Amino acid sequence: MARWGFTVDLERCVGCMGCVIACKAENGTPPSIHWMKVVEKEEGEFPYAKRTFTPLRCNHCDDPACARACPTGAIVKRPDGIVVIEQDVCIGTMACMSACPYYVPYRWDGEDGYYGSELVPYEVEKYAQFKKGTAQKCHFCYHRIDEGRPPACVESCPADALNYGDLEDPNSRVNELLRQKKHFRPREELGTNPSLFYLAGKGGGSVGGGK
Amino acid sequence: MSKGLTNVPFTMELRSQRHWDWKVAFYLYGAGTSAGLIFLELILRRQGVIDEPTALAGMWIGLVLALVSLAFLFGHLGPGARWRFLYVFRKPRTSWIARGATIVTVLVLLRVLILLPSVPGFTGLPWGEETHAGAMLRVGALLFAAAFMAYSGLVLSSWNSIAFWNTPLLPILYISHSFLAGLAVLPLVIVVIDGSASLAAIGSTLWSGLMILLLINALLLLIYVWGMATATAPARESVRRLLRGEHRASFWFGVVGVGLILPFVMVGLGMGQDLGANPATLAWLLTACAAIQIGGFILRDSFLRVGVYGYPV
Repeated sequence: MARWGFTVDLERCVGCMGCVIACKAENGTPPSIHWMKVVEKEEGEFPYAKRTFTPLRCNHCDDPACARACPTGAIVKRPDGIVVIEQDVCIGTMACMSACPYYVPYRWDGEDGYYGSELVPYEVEKYAQFKKGTAQKCHFCYHRIDEGRPPACVESCPADALNYGDLEDPNSRVNELLRQKKHFRPREELGTNPSLFYLAGKGGGSVGGGK
Repeated sequence: MSKGLTNVPFTMELRSQRHWDWKVAFYLYGAGTSAGLIFLELILRRQGVIDEPTALAGMWIGLVLALVSLAFLFGHLGPGARWRFLYVFRKPRTSWIARGATIVTVLVLLRVLILLPSVPGFTGLPWGEETHAGAMLRVGALLFAAAFMAYSGLVLSSWNSIAFWNTPLLPILYISHSFLAGLAVLPLVIVVIDGSASLAAIGSTLWSGLMILLLINALLLLIYVWGMATATAPARESVRRLLRGEHRASFWFGVVGVGLILPFVMVGLGMGQDLGANPATLAWLLTACAAIQIGGFILRDSFLRVGVYGYPV
């Protein structure tokens, strides 16, 4: 069984937000919900100040804090490591939102669409998949993964900054990148064991997530 | 006109949580105070400090407070999704919210059972105060009340996403505040049931207890804020927002001024005189009890509002 992982090359990301738009187009998330974000940060001081970009999304942790906090069992981990929210079980306690150190989940309470309260046909079709009052988050485009296609954000990235693959397969693209480049996982000290790796500079490390 | 991509800033910053709002704060305050009230009431009744009608009246008030708190919590759940609320009991092995829902439900049921023999039409039920079964129910209520007071802090401190909450001192502070607010409800109950003379008769126990709890709470709050002021960057940012930032007014005026200093001064003045036997000091002391309730709610609300996540990367 595959264990899906994700790499983000911080040296390659140019902050074009293509992944954000691709995620929006693929999943049709409402205006207040962003499964994929690219956050900006200013580093250094004049004359050496620079702006860096960090794509953020659900890390599909091995030990997800959101799933532990959820009282209903609505957040489940698939055998391939993808963490999904079952909207028929979620009651909107927002415990996942408080417990996730990456503040990834959102709750959609049926707010307006991008053009006000009257939804355009695209929004009508896409919002039908969201149950009002339940938590939402990135599901690794599992509908595409199950068909053998890459997640929308990976497919859209023009700089090849985003990649995905099977962490159990030593020859997968993500393990190849992890061997080639220095990498770290977000807030690793919290023990959530994320399946997402940030690549930063030459000099590789372990494969398979280095558990 | 389109809204554009987002109204959320895509910048790396220390972001405060906004979704657990005053409704959750009221639940933590109300159900915690109700648990503190029943705990102290059962102890004081056992020791003969308060009589049975007062204990039962307090139990009713505690039950109503717990139910109102649960109604606020229900209102906080997702619109539409909230009607599946029975799912909240499904994961007690990992989720503190599921544990808390179980504890508060059992506590409400125990209180209903304890109160039933005092309701006309149910007086023959075999678990009155003097019976073995009645004593067992009261021991159960005592244990679950203690568990709920601890839960109201543990639910927040169990998550390491928000550093300001992630400390074992939070359950201790909330337990202490539940005792304080619970004890401050009792004088109001006694005045309503028996009048001010009864209050004066047991005043030495109540007012000295309130004074001690006020001092303990002030000390715990000081240690808490001091400890967080020297902790990680997100915890320090929470302290900054609490003491000098956008929530400084509710903290200094509500929590410290109304919740601690005002009752301390009023109880101190009342103790120096005749413990509430004359109308003027009675008014001071009852105002102090009401101020403690306001401070208890604002404490929970302020602590929720200044909860700041660490950087996600």
